[in-house]
Amino acid sequence: MNPQPLESDLPQGPSDAELLEAVAAGSEPAFAELRARYRPAVARVCRSIAGGEREDCEQEVFARIWRKAALFDRGRGSAASWLLTVARRTALSTHGGRRPPLPVEDEALEEAVEPAEVDAFWLAAALERLAERERTVITLAYYDDLSESAIAKRLRVPLGSVKTWKRRGLNQLATLLGEEPA
Amino acid sequence: MNHAEAFKRLPDLLDDRDDAELLGHVRACPECQRQLFLLGRVDRALRDGAPAHRRRVPARLLAAAGAAAAAAAALLAVLLPSGTHAHPYMLRTAAGTVVGEATMTHADAHNVALVLRAHGLPVARGHMFVLWASDRNATMQAGRFMADPSGRAHVRFNLPADHHWSHFWITRPAKAPTMVASSV
Repeated sequence: MNPQPLESDLPQGPSDAELLEAVAAGSEPAFAELRARYRPAVARVCRSIAGGEREDCEQEVFARIWRKAALFDRGRGSAASWLLTVARRTALSTHGGRRPPLPVEDEALEEAVEPAEVDAFWLAAALERLAERERTVITLAYYDDLSESAIAKRLRVPLGSVKTWKRRGLNQLATLLGEEPA
Repeated sequence: MNHAEAFKRLPDLLDDRDDAELLGHVRACPECQRQLFLLGRVDRALRDGAPAHRRRVPARLLAAAGAAAAAAAALLAVLLPSGTHAHPYMLRTAAGTVVGEATMTHADAHNVALVLRAHGLPVARGHMFVLWASDRNATMQAGRFMADPSGRAHVRFNLPADHHWSHFWITRPAKAPTMVASSV
């Protein structure tokens, strides 16, 4: 019995925690990769809290991540949890307008975040790591509420391909989730 | 059923718990039990993330909802901004060499997705690039991306859907960006 996930079930690339640690060391490519992964998730947080100031909020979130990445400690929580906290506090500062900015310091990042919120935040980034066909099938299945048959019809591919891509995509997401600290 | 086959099929258990052979394997396999637990968290996060009006409904309601969904999809297609073309915009260097194509597709209610497939980007001076988009009234940095050592890249960025994005270009990240390729 092979206890490890199949190689084809593992998306390529460093984990979020590894990227954050590289960003802390000043790696621009790592920052670009992290930004690409988390841009949709950060945008969602900014949209929900900062509303019309969403674009300013997004830019400020990533600027803070660049400056504060060294504060991330994987022994104290997942990268997604840390990033969500930065995003939320930045969005609150942005939306607060005239209020003094909320600090994104070490102690501030210890605030509790709901596991379900972290999962949702992490998920938006993890989807970006899937191959396009797996991401498309999962998005159509869950967000557009399409059956596998309907997805096959829409994408003009065999039903078996849809089943395979959906299984593989879900397994990849689960494997990525398992790599994150609880 | 061997472990590899069972592991692949674990997502099936999210919808259907009647597969006795698969369940039998899972009962005896700690690795599959852990993966199934993680799959449950992923499944829950995906369902929670779905917009409220697109939440899953019982199968018996799907047929009744079919016509409405089709009508909604048709309406969505009509309402998409005219800038969300499905055809690709070719990005060329100053010498006219095609180094990529940008395609706009629907992302969600607020955004369109800009998908860039690039090849042969000049990577001699570093692998970082910036993708820009503009319409008549606005210019926006879609995002930064990396190319592999052969100059290939495949990235996707969301842009606000309330613009008619029609011009795309790639620069290097610098205070005075140098143009690498453009759609015009």
